Amino acid sequence: MTIHHHPPEELLTAFAAGLLDLGQHVAIATHLVGCARCRDAVRAMEHVGGAVLAGLLPTAMSGGALASVEAGLDRLVAATTSPPRRAAGLADVPGLPQFVREYPAGPWRWIAPKVHLRPIQLPEASSTRVFLLKSRSGTKMIEHTHTGFEMSCVLSGSFVHAGGHFGPGDFDLGEGDDDHEIMIDSQDDCICLIAMQGDLKLNGMIGRLLQPLIRM
Amino acid sequence: MVNETPNGATSDAARWAALIEAVATRRDREAFATLFEHFAPRIKTFMRRSGASEQSADEFAQEALLAVWSKAGLFDPASVGATAWIFTIARNLRIDVLRREKRAGRDYTVEIDPEFHVDEGPLPDAGLAVSQVESRVRNALTHLSEDQQRVIELSFFDEKAHAEIAQTLQIPLGTVKSRLRLAMNRLRGLLGDLS
Ligand SMILES: [Zn+2]
Repeated sequence: MTIHHHPPEELLTAFAAGLLDLGQHVAIATHLVGCARCRDAVRAMEHVGGAVLAGLLPTAMSGGALASVEAGLDRLVAATTSPPRRAAGLADVPGLPQFVREYPAGPWRWIAPKVHLRPIQLPEASSTRVFLLKSRSGTKMIEHTHTGFEMSCVLSGSFVHAGGHFGPGDFDLGEGDDDHEIMIDSQDDCICLIAMQGDLKLNGMIGRLLQPLIRM
Repeated sequence: MVNETPNGATSDAARWAALIEAVATRRDREAFATLFEHFAPRIKTFMRRSGASEQSADEFAQEALLAVWSKAGLFDPASVGATAWIFTIARNLRIDVLRREKRAGRDYTVEIDPEFHVDEGPLPDAGLAVSQVESRVRNALTHLSEDQQRVIELSFFDEKAHAEIAQTLQIPLGTVKSRLRLAMNRLRGLLGDLS
């Protein structure tokens, strides 16, 4: 698997810093499953984080803080790696990080000719929605102006648009008002994990999918 | 941010790692106290800058050090440096704190750690030893100006902290952002291709 399209460095840094909301975090984590280069970049930024933390000016702790923590140590049970939680509906989807496979997911729903959507339920509120999108070979979609951003991680199959060709492992960041046509060019279905900011109203991916219907 | 000589910093990193391992293997309280004295006040600053009140930041710093105690056995010096590991504890605690606020009243919790656990995919990692990553990062940081090091810190805090910095430096927020971009580009150039 050769990956040609990576998330911008700012997103990898924000991921390492723990500043992404959960939906965006899921999209970046999904890219990391297949991309050694970005894993290394995240690891390096965590080391930068360590250097930053170690170099912060100290703020004096309250009197007796150490003593009260020490008093609590005996009651602490040593942490072990947590046992895998109940596998939910996504156990069978390849290319997802382990923690995402444990999230509950809805069934595939028809949303447009040759296109199905499967929502992923995040355990915490996030301003970003996450879902899988499955499109059959040859599907054409018109992308039009939309608000917010949209992150796509290709899990299988491929698509092509003016920005290039996107296959398994590739990451596509749609922002602002690109106006171009997307074409599913793989023989098999193209399945993407998509993190989309904002409402599932008439903007972004859904708007672009519904547009041909509305035209009819 | 990094003012030790490269060698001094290397032995520092090894020292922190040895202390964490002493906590893990022998439940060494003296080692723990040393870690506490150094890191708790810095994690407190980290939480203050992230918006926590004086009292909450103090409590979170204590909580973070309790996590260092209970998770010490999971510390793997072959996969992460000691300060980076403590940073990830503070980072994950901060996420947890923010979520606790959002779900006030609801009593389920989700562990943050698995969200940062990245399974190795079909392509193996570059295989750089942790000590190499650490020293490369340290070297890169020493090549930045004091100002640039300051501004790199901002990458680890949200927009609110940026605005505060802009205010204390009495420069426009836009200038802070552009300085951050420049400093990050320089850092990335210095880190080079890690693979
Ligand atoms: Zn990548």
